[in-house]
Amino acid sequence: MTQSTANQRDPTPEHAAVLMQVTGVTKRYGEQRALADVSFTVNAGEVLGLIGPNGAGKTTLLEAIAGLVPADGGRILWRGTSPALPRRREFMFYLPDGLRPWEDEYVARVIEFFTAAHGRPARITAEAIGALGLAPVLRQRVGALSKGYGRRLMLALALITPQPLLLMDEPFDGFDLRQTREIMAVVRDVARNGRTLVLAIHQLIDAERVCDRFVLLADGRVRGVGTLAELRAQTGMASAGLEEVFLALT
Amino acid sequence: MRSPEAAVIRRAPFHPLLAKELREIVSGRALWTMLLILCPLVGYSFWQAVVLYGEASSAARDSPALASGLSPLDGVLVPTFGALYVAVTLLFPFVAIRTLGREKETGALRLLVQLPYRVPTLIAAKMAAIFGAWLAALIPAASAVVIWAVLGGHVHVPETANLIFGHLLYGLLVGAIALFAASISESSATAAIVALAFTIGSWVLDFALAGQPGALEWFSRLSLTQTLRTFEQGLLSIGLLLGIVAAICGLAALSAVWLHPGVPLRTRFMRSIACVAAVAAVFALASQVRTSVDLTEDRRNSFPAADQRALAELREPLLVTVRLAPEDPRYVDLRRNVLAKLERALPHVGIRLATTGQSVVGSTADEAYGEIEYSYEGREDKSRSTSPREILPLLYALAGKPIPPPSAGGEYPGYPLVANGRWTLPWFLVGLPLLIVIAWWRSRRPPQIAAQLIKVGGQP
Repeated sequence: MTQSTANQRDPTPEHAAVLMQVTGVTKRYGEQRALADVSFTVNAGEVLGLIGPNGAGKTTLLEAIAGLVPADGGRILWRGTSPALPRRREFMFYLPDGLRPWEDEYVARVIEFFTAAHGRPARITAEAIGALGLAPVLRQRVGALSKGYGRRLMLALALITPQPLLLMDEPFDGFDLRQTREIMAVVRDVARNGRTLVLAIHQLIDAERVCDRFVLLADGRVRGVGTLAELRAQTGMASAGLEEVFLALT
Repeated sequence: MRSPEAAVIRRAPFHPLLAKELREIVSGRALWTMLLILCPLVGYSFWQAVVLYGEASSAARDSPALASGLSPLDGVLVPTFGALYVAVTLLFPFVAIRTLGREKETGALRLLVQLPYRVPTLIAAKMAAIFGAWLAALIPAASAVVIWAVLGGHVHVPETANLIFGHLLYGLLVGAIALFAASISESSATAAIVALAFTIGSWVLDFALAGQPGALEWFSRLSLTQTLRTFEQGLLSIGLLLGIVAAICGLAALSAVWLHPGVPLRTRFMRSIACVAAVAAVFALASQVRTSVDLTEDRRNSFPAADQRALAELREPLLVTVRLAPEDPRYVDLRRNVLAKLERALPHVGIRLATTGQSVVGSTADEAYGEIEYSYEGREDKSRSTSPREILPLLYALAGKPIPPPSAGGEYPGYPLVANGRWTLPWFLVGLPLLIVIAWWRSRRPPQIAAQLIKVGGQP
């Protein structure tokens, strides 16, 4: 999937329904501040990139949104209302970075478990397996998978889930250039089919290719929110790429 | 609030979760290692028990009085299941921890808590898997019972089932402790240390403090081992059962409280306090429940049937004042032969140790030391005997009732058996371990892939 494809839809707030609002989320680990008053919105059907260097707070933010880390303050609003922690999983699914779960299980069984738990039709699962090329490793143990196949399995699990919002932490890590482009195409397909994605990405080139809008994070603070065009306007750098914009704002 | 865009995830089926939990236990080495260690442990205990029982039976062959003292429950079953107890205490925590420990270490827990299951459902599935693992651990001991029957040994089903039930409760209790340890620990190693601190610590508590006077004796009752004693004696105590079930449920609830990583620490502590308070309330209630059922064939926990019926008619409270130190062997005899049975037979019995703090009123030099005073309907009598043959007539006299005539028949005959148990050792040392290895090998076979999964996915 290329940038031109990504920009075919108009994802600006004027034309997109707000799906989720993140308002004033803060998080401290002891003396260290991980997130400071983070606020932004997620629009239905868009691919939103959380952009920032390592240690910017992307993972903590995603985990706080998913309810896997207790935030010290702030609110998560879904269509204007605040769901209780146990109900957030009805709306969103978070795929953490670097997971290799149930290593002694066979790939097929992990996938079947996710399919059965969510009551998903076999067609969805088969499509996820096909899209991510997992057929050759279905009879392998998760622990025996290569890094690339391990990440494909995690992505497949995310695709099988039915929640309207997908949060993914570094979904392109561990893939080479060709594989990254394939995975980006899959991600764009997911968005085209109506799901909303929030991707934490530290590779700005990848983010620019796949995301509709961006939230720029540094030191746990939001430094900019908007489409690339809006961020360019904010910095006054009319022809700059995301890298230049990011450097200018952080 | 329910958005139309929310996924419909309220009614997730339980069986895929349970199957996953069972596979998680089966795919680990802890279960298989425990089973392989259990085989010789149980086998040797069983063989030793059969040999010793045979020696005692040889002496009792021509003496009905001696034969009546030979009970397979005490002679064979309890020692054999003792090996299961050792394994469950020392090894079962490692098996139970696996249901959660690996998921915490690998981060799989973060996926699991997002699945459409409530946290109590996740814990219930893990407890069910722990129960499954315990059933597997029962196989060597259960095979010993079958072999005993094949050898011609007598098996009284109620008392045997009661013994197995006691071990089941003990296993679930240890499993719940291990699960809780895993829920509060970041790694399996830490969880194992926490769980073993509970189990071995309580073992030491039992060894070191049992029979000690005063508060030390009370502490020794907190030992997990105590939960098994009553079942080994052939009693099904409703109060104890209630207490153990409360402890298991309480630990499972605490595991649920500490499972979800997204719950703030303060909330976890508040919920934990509520759990502990609820369990403590059930404990208090359970301690008031005196009902118990004597499931032994020899009715060792009860007076003869005629006396049981007569004593049940004594509706007024009976107060027994004992002037003996708790560690005095006479008190131990009195407790086992008379007091425990009286508590089961009479509706209202009060037993008071004439103690102040940890010492008996007066001292062992006191002339009154050793006296047991019985008070019923304002009448009192004293005795120094610890035998029901002397005490029961005394009680009937106090109550103004005639001594009931003994019932004919129903005497426990005893079940002496001289058997050659040597041939059982190959089963426990070779046959059963071989079957376990074969089961392990079969459990590792790759699954069949449903054709519909790769029809669209395509072959490589």
